[in-house]
Amino acid sequence: MITQRVKIPLDRIGVLIGHKGIVKEDIEKKSASRITVDSNEGEVYIEGIEGGDPLKTLRVAEVIRAIGRGFSPENAFALLDDDLLLFEVISLDHLSPKALTRVKGRVIGRDGRTRGVIENLANVKISVYGKTISLIGQSHWIRTAHEAIAMLIQGSPHSSVYNFLERKRRAEEEQEKW
Amino acid sequence: MTGDRWAMAHIFSSFNNTVITITDMTGAETIARASGGMIAKADRDESSPYTAMLMATQLAERLKEREITGIHVKVKAAAGRKSRTTAPGAQAAIRAFARAGLRIGRIEDVTPIPHDGTKRPGGKRGRRV
Repeated sequence: MITQRVKIPLDRIGVLIGHKGIVKEDIEKKSASRITVDSNEGEVYIEGIEGGDPLKTLRVAEVIRAIGRGFSPENAFALLDDDLLLFEVISLDHLSPKALTRVKGRVIGRDGRTRGVIENLANVKISVYGKTISLIGQSHWIRTAHEAIAMLIQGSPHSSVYNFLERKRRAEEEQEKW
Repeated sequence: MTGDRWAMAHIFSSFNNTVITITDMTGAETIARASGGMIAKADRDESSPYTAMLMATQLAERLKEREITGIHVKVKAAAGRKSRTTAPGAQAAIRAFARAGLRIGRIEDVTPIPHDGTKRPGGKRGRRV
């Protein structure tokens, strides 16, 4: 029926399959699809089962890509359960190796503080892995988080990024009152 | 009319709008079309999942008149320098098509992905506000 191909890094294949294959089985059961993993190349093939929910089969690719981008299976599974969640990847491959480590450090912060602040204020999940920063969240929050991360990449001080996030958060709460 | 009649739904879903074009299987003949502005009043609602749902249910009715039983779906995101992930409109539309009684065949992501692409705007020193 539907076949899709996703490529993920070799280090993440173990996470995708899980101990004795439990994670992979879980994905297959939740999404009515069959997953084949090529552990030499890092290729993952997804096949939809006839009669399954076709939307879910489309979403599995996203879940697998999210796991490949450093998310834990638990966080990635949220994509299957909630239709409104989106997965977005910010690529950092235009940065030099030196700038890359600096930017990654700036986004994560000491003991993950900055990442935690963005996650809490913008209601997203963040994963910094390799040359990418990935987000899972609702579309308008992803935009806010994306903007905040873009500010950090560009070199804005952390305090102004926090202020920006808090401002957005207050505006959102103000809107919800109506 | 006997047997199945299939059509193709091309869904373009960006963060500012959703456009659904229904064509025949070759993709050359347009059967029906809907975009966010045909339903939503405010510009910011053009991309919302609810608007996409209304669009899909309206289109499904038009398809029933033509006795089309199922659709294959091609989803496309904004692409280029913008987001390569589809906005929530696409999923809502597919859901609504299925709920309206249409059979959903293949779903494919046809977002064009460049091998190199163009430079981001803003220049070397970034966007200066």
